[in-house]
Amino acid sequence: MALLTVIGRGVRVRGRIQGEGELSIEGHVEGEIAVSGEVTVEAGGLVGAAVRGRVVTVRGAVRGDLTADEVIRLEDGARVVGDIRAPRIAIDKGALVRGLVQTAASGAPARAKGAERAAAAPAVQKAPAAKPAPRPAPAARPAAAPAPAPAARPVAAAPVVVPASRPAVASALAGAPARKPPPPVVPALKKGAKAALKKKAQ
Amino acid sequence: MASTVIGAGITIEGEVSSDEEVVVQGTIRGKLEAREAVTIEAGGTVEADITAGPLSVAGNVTGNITSSDRVDLQAGARVVGNVKATRITIADGAQFKGNVDMDV
Repeated sequence: MALLTVIGRGVRVRGRIQGEGELSIEGHVEGEIAVSGEVTVEAGGLVGAAVRGRVVTVRGAVRGDLTADEVIRLEDGARVVGDIRAPRIAIDKGALVRGLVQTAASGAPARAKGAERAAAAPAVQKAPAAKPAPRPAPAARPAAAPAPAPAARPVAAAPVVVPASRPAVASALAGAPARKPPPPVVPALKKGAKAALKKKAQ
Repeated sequence: MASTVIGAGITIEGEVSSDEEVVVQGTIRGKLEAREAVTIEAGGTVEADITAGPLSVAGNVTGNITSSDRVDLQAGARVVGNVKATRITIADGAQFKGNVDMDV
């Protein structure tokens, strides 16, 4: 109760609002909002700058970026022009959004709850980190494969090249335990094909 | 309950203008304008010039106060600044430093 802040319908704030506790906005705020608790922009409420909170709920209008440490909820009637970043985002039917939407851990998860999430987040990040590793291998394969083919007969160095490329592939396979098939091969246009097309067009 | 409350723990840096009643439990720095009653509760801090209707202060105010009605400085209040109002009360235990201007 004591930590509840209400910016009422007939109120206009020009400046920054920061601190801790719950914040409910029914009026106009033209300035940044950074609160450690829950921020609610009620229907009829208008915020003209960035909003940051633990939980951000919008039923009114916001022109600015939304960032939450936990959840962003855009409910019916919400109008948001700006980027939205939070671990969890809900956009209801009837909510309007224009901007980048990103469900990822927010910039500063400094609190204990955020720390748990931060502990979970690197685990998730490690998996994708492991995935890109095999990617260089397929790239190495075509690069290495043509080389030994012509070089195989004349020079004895060829056997050296082949084993060198093989362990790389083997280690890549060991690194990604047969879960992910190699990325699909994208057919490439021949050199000069684009120029040829252009010439045809002319 | 008033429809606008600046809760304890909240700091507003800037200008606040209101057509409705305002209760301040937190901090406002800048400027505060209200047509209706303003209450600054114990623990509330306003470092701003205040223009308001009836004003009741139990917290800290640094800045000039202009009221279209009355100003009540309650016990525990600490006010530094000039007060201009039609009526004014200063309770025993209120700290006040500044000029008083009562329009008659």
